[in-house]
Amino acid sequence: MLTTLAWTAVKQMVPSENQEEESQVSVNGKRSKPEDAGGEGEYHPAKLSRRDLYKPPTAEELNQLKEAESLFHCSLLKMQMEELLKEVVLSERRKQQIDSFIQTVTELLRTVPDSPQVELSDLSWLSSAVKVPFLLVPKTTKGKFHMAPPASVDLIGSYPLGTCTKPRITVDLAVTIPANVLQQKDVLNQRYPRKRALYLAGLAQYLASSSDIGSMRYSCLHGNRLRPVLLLTPSGKDSSSFTLRVHAGPPPGFFKPSRFHPQRNNIRTEWYSGLQMSQGSSEPPTPHYNSSVLGDLLPRAHLQFLSAVSSQCSALADGVALLKVWLRQRELDQGTGCFNGFLASMLLAYLLTTHRISNSMTAYQLLRNSLNFLASTDLTVNGISLARDPDATAPSLAEFHNAFQVVFVDPSGHLNMCADMTASTYKQLQHEASVSMEFWDNPTVDGFDSLLMTPKPMIRTSDHVFQLCELVKLQSSCKKMDLLSELMDHSGNYVQTALPFILTLLQQGLGQRIHLLTHSLSPVPEWPVESEAPKHKDQPPLSFGLLLNPELAASALERGPAADSPTAAEFRQLWGSRSELRRFQDGSITEAVVWGGETMCQKRLVPRQIITHLLQLHADIPDSCIRYVGAMVDDVIQTGSEVPSTGEEESLLVVQSYDDLSRKLWGLKGLPLSITAVQGAHPALRYTQVFPPVPLKVGYSFFDREKTSRSLVPKESKPCPAYITPITVICHMEGSGKWPHDRLAIRHIRTAFHIRLGVLLEKQHGYTCKPCPAHLDVWKDGLLFRIQVAYHREAQVLRERMTDKGLLVVRDNEEAQTLEMATVHKPLLTSTLHGLQQQHQSFGGSCRLAKRWLGAQLFSKDITEDTADLLVASLFLQPAPFTPPGSPQVGLLRFLCLLSSFDWRNNPLIVNLNNQLTAPDYTEIRNDFMASRESLPVLFLATPKDKKQSLWTKRAPSVQMLQRVVVVAAESLKLLEHQLMDREQIQDVRVVMRPPLDAYDVLIHLNPKQVPLLAQAVDPHPVTFSRGLMAGRIAPSGGALPVIDYNPVSLYLAELRDAFGDLALFFCDPHGGTVIAVLWKPKAFVPIGFKTSQMSARKVEVNGEQANTIPNVEAILEDFRILGKGLIKSVDARTEKWSF
Amino acid sequence: MAAGNFVSGHIKMAPSTKKHASGRACVVPGGFTEISLKFTSDSVATHKLYVKEHKVRAQTSHRPMDRTLFLLNVPPYCSEVVIKELFSQFGSVQWVDLRDHPGSSPESGPKLSRFFKPAEKQGFKVGYVVFQNAASVSAAKSHPHDTPLLVCTEQRTVKTGVQKWIEQYTQSFCAPDKLQQVVDSFMEDYDKRKAEEADRQKEEAKQQEEEEEGWVKVSRGPKGTKARPHSEAANKRTLAKESRNRKRKELMNFYTWQHKNMQKDQIADLRKKFEEDKQRIALLRAQRKFRPY
Repeated sequence: MLTTLAWTAVKQMVPSENQEEESQVSVNGKRSKPEDAGGEGEYHPAKLSRRDLYKPPTAEELNQLKEAESLFHCSLLKMQMEELLKEVVLSERRKQQIDSFIQTVTELLRTVPDSPQVELSDLSWLSSAVKVPFLLVPKTTKGKFHMAPPASVDLIGSYPLGTCTKPRITVDLAVTIPANVLQQKDVLNQRYPRKRALYLAGLAQYLASSSDIGSMRYSCLHGNRLRPVLLLTPSGKDSSSFTLRVHAGPPPGFFKPSRFHPQRNNIRTEWYSGLQMSQGSSEPPTPHYNSSVLGDLLPRAHLQFLSAVSSQCSALADGVALLKVWLRQRELDQGTGCFNGFLASMLLAYLLTTHRISNSMTAYQLLRNSLNFLASTDLTVNGISLARDPDATAPSLAEFHNAFQVVFVDPSGHLNMCADMTASTYKQLQHEASVSMEFWDNPTVDGFDSLLMTPKPMIRTSDHVFQLCELVKLQSSCKKMDLLSELMDHSGNYVQTALPFILTLLQQGLGQRIHLLTHSLSPVPEWPVESEAPKHKDQPPLSFGLLLNPELAASALERGPAADSPTAAEFRQLWGSRSELRRFQDGSITEAVVWGGETMCQKRLVPRQIITHLLQLHADIPDSCIRYVGAMVDDVIQTGSEVPSTGEEESLLVVQSYDDLSRKLWGLKGLPLSITAVQGAHPALRYTQVFPPVPLKVGYSFFDREKTSRSLVPKESKPCPAYITPITVICHMEGSGKWPHDRLAIRHIRTAFHIRLGVLLEKQHGYTCKPCPAHLDVWKDGLLFRIQVAYHREAQVLRERMTDKGLLVVRDNEEAQTLEMATVHKPLLTSTLHGLQQQHQSFGGSCRLAKRWLGAQLFSKDITEDTADLLVASLFLQPAPFTPPGSPQVGLLRFLCLLSSFDWRNNPLIVNLNNQLTAPDYTEIRNDFMASRESLPVLFLATPKDKKQSLWTKRAPSVQMLQRVVVVAAESLKLLEHQLMDREQIQDVRVVMRPPLDAYDVLIHLNPKQVPLLAQAVDPHPVTFSRGLMAGRIAPSGGALPVIDYNPVSLYLAELRDAFGDLALFFCDPHGGTVIAVLWKPKAFVPIGFKTSQMSARKVEVNGEQANTIPNVEAILEDFRILGKGLIKSVDARTEKWSF
Repeated sequence: MAAGNFVSGHIKMAPSTKKHASGRACVVPGGFTEISLKFTSDSVATHKLYVKEHKVRAQTSHRPMDRTLFLLNVPPYCSEVVIKELFSQFGSVQWVDLRDHPGSSPESGPKLSRFFKPAEKQGFKVGYVVFQNAASVSAAKSHPHDTPLLVCTEQRTVKTGVQKWIEQYTQSFCAPDKLQQVVDSFMEDYDKRKAEEADRQKEEAKQQEEEEEGWVKVSRGPKGTKARPHSEAANKRTLAKESRNRKRKELMNFYTWQHKNMQKDQIADLRKKFEEDKQRIALLRAQRKFRPY
């Protein structure tokens, strides 16, 4: 049992648990690493002895102190960056290893034997153990080939430049193919790229016999299939520590650069497609093919250029390293068309040569300036060039723009280094840079963490994501879109050919609905030398991310131009048959497209309708190939039998009904004191109730009647009636001298008000009411409102106390706190969050999903509704490095990410509601927090109204529970992201909502008949019970009072916690859970001496001299059954797990 | 805890020498007798009640020491009525008091109606059973441990679970006019008490005046007692005001040693802050907070 309580593993959810991960869970740092018990994992204020503090200072020390003081914010960031750089740069030891391996490989390569000359298409000289890393389509091309030792072997790329970083260290080695193997004409028809591939295969065949080489694989440079490379790793235990990437290339200057002008053709249509060109038409240009061949000619020149630049600017290497980390966290540094480390170096070089940054700047400033440049410069329109004085044959920028989407020309003036990049990728880069610049200057954001430490995978960044599966279908879209010459230019890579056109199409169709359309970069394939190169269709699915514009994304109408305007034809062409003429209220007749969807939950998927329609219409991609993961998780909060809905409409109904009630309360005549405020204090009134209350109509025959008031009462023989949620409303009464100054008297006066309000509401508006001392229940519109009268001085009265000497003292106490919580803090939170929902539409949905997850994982007692709402609010108020979540699903993912990755032990989570907190407030909150960490709640939430106490998390969670939440959240996040992004998954997404039950000691199974909220369960129950509801119109007032707030499960839980709260913890999903999980507290089972104050449910065991007491487990289990008679189906005691 | 003999710490107890033969009372160290208690006759497990005669230093009238039996570990489904009936077999019971913790009798106060009483905790309780005769206490104490008391029998059904909750729900109704009556009578009572209190204070003031042989206390303000509110907050305010005044009068930068001390303090502050920053970084490093992936 102790082991389950320690809760270090969640084996039930995922079989293997990573050690690494566990150490990242900061709150359990102490537990999992006993050697840290000295408190390394936590912050202690520095303690200097008085003598140290007051010793006479030296001049040097004084200077240092003053400097640190004046630069505090900046210097902390600087120190953090320095530490980060230490983590990513290569160690000396690693460099030595790399150098010695390079030496070995270089020597080996020099001794490659010659082979006789053969036809290019003759592969018989290769042994069967080595394949050619090339897709030979078309099968043959002219030319002769033979192996010969390389003309030279040189280091290129990041390693000699010093910008190589961990992890995945790759060292580039350029092998020059001797001039006699190549011919000038080889530029044509893939002859050179094929020779390059053959040469690599030859090298691989030779190297295979060497024992120094660990493993050999093929890959291709940035996913370009024309540029295969050979990956070598050392043998022995270092085999995975770094990779040597062998490039083959022509001797420098072997081909004339002018042959690779983006408007020239180097692949003949006749050769490629076997079709005769019709006379008179010219061959189409092949810019992408040209630039990939040209790219092989220039690496040495680029290295020279960059070393020259970096010798001037000492911080260049560090700046590049930081930029690389930044890019990597945003998944922009790998794959086809990425912004890789080489481009990062070139960008900094560009900024240096154009004097946008100076040589003396630090790495921090380099990063800042380059992000600033990226954010403000659009390379898709205004390309930049590094060429100082390009020769006459070099193409102009305009010519580059015609051929490529993004233009960044290299120092030679001939090569566009961003040839493969799509405009979307660059826009994404720009977007990221501008977001980063925005929060960098914000002193309330932990800039370092958001900037460089937070990974931004697409599924967590984009509001909606969809995947194109079965990429082979893109072949037919190339045909449909008439892209044959482009296909030839891309050497048959139909994915890269079609991608830009699909992106443009979607961009056009989605238009104002989205801020940004991003796509995943196809990963660079890697395959062993023994196997054939993978086909294009073997690529993993292509993912697209949408960043929605919340105002327009869900609009059902796409209004086009007027019917007679010239652009109407264009509009019709884009939308095809969906476009129709419509007449609008303002009298205009325009082309328009109307998408289906009644509820928010359906409208949220309008982008999906657009995407599937456009792709089907224009690109021949069937619906079945599109996997849309915008709202997959939303199922779990879906209600409504006819029209699926995720609760937005229901919440609105509740709020409208509440507004009406509020108006009527204000208008009541005949109250002795006037009402000063009516405030909602229920999650349903801020759109965050997981399942908002729905108006109900009750069938009277299902119930018994109470004798005097004729109210309905549950019948024992029937299933438990439907649960009716009371919606709390606080009604503040005017202060007056007539209010008594005594706690009991105030309570009685409040009761009198409840009675009076009830009478008036019944008389003036006909509502059925039930007053009681604590509140007044009002049955209205099929909803139940619970009005609580409040008097603003009551908390003060509760706090005042007379001492024996007659001195009036004010002492805070729990009663006063509870009252203030209910009448002051909750209404305020409700109205503030209601405001947040007005700004961010998906706030409510995110809260509901998050709370559904907490409930399903049995944490709703520990992370309460209000805490969860505040946590989600923080995601919207301070989204850095993301943008505010635009769909409930991404909200849930970020919520899980926040729970699992935030350092709860050492940091307060500051929720800046209404933007009321300023930077000094932040510092103050942090300092207060640090000063008294030990006495504060484990999960500390600060809000503008509550800077020091964390009111909402005072009671829960405990350290152990928070630790458990963190672990489960991390697992759930991993699992859910996997589920969403991987179509091969067998299980559904609900798997993250099914709690692991193995950890618990006793499971109490409930009789579903008596669980009123059964319909809300994660997995729908096979049997549905009649719960006394009727269909039909709901009367706005009158009728018998239904059964209110009667939930046997929560009544039972309350009794269990009252009786056995000292011995065990009880968990249950409040939304239709049919299992109560019980966990013994290990402390309770340690025998203790006989104490009259601690005898609850215990028995005495006399053992020689000692009389100890232990819990009377058999009787307790029996009590579980007795207390829950009628509700319990079975009690499953897992005795095999107990160890007391 | 007012009861003197219930030491909350460990009690050094004499070992029990008796063998628990069947049919005899089982006495555990500490002087308590164990009595088994079953919910129904076919229950498998039993709860153990521990009973002992009530013994405290300060005796109260409603718990006479010789006739009161003190109970530990009373299960939640045993109401006062049930306990009364259960213990009637040892002699007639005057009344039963069940409480969350052992301790003195309920504090006095105005009598509250059922609807205004604070919600009771539904947990295990301790009980005080007051018998008519002292002999019943010893009868209870010698009850054989292997004959369990039965809570729920055919004559006396104890409702639990769904039945109980439905009953509770039904009982939560209270007609508004009845509730209004309760409120009215309480407020009447309250007003009466207030008036009495005021009268008493007036009386006291008058008495004091007379005792001081014709001397009258003169103070600022219209009414002597109200001029200076007798509360903690007011006291604090006055103290703060005084210390503010004192500070204002003090000379800060007058002596050389004052100036020197101030500079020293400043440097100490800077040192402390620097040290704190260094520690913060060291901590982050220890947590591997700088490893980006």
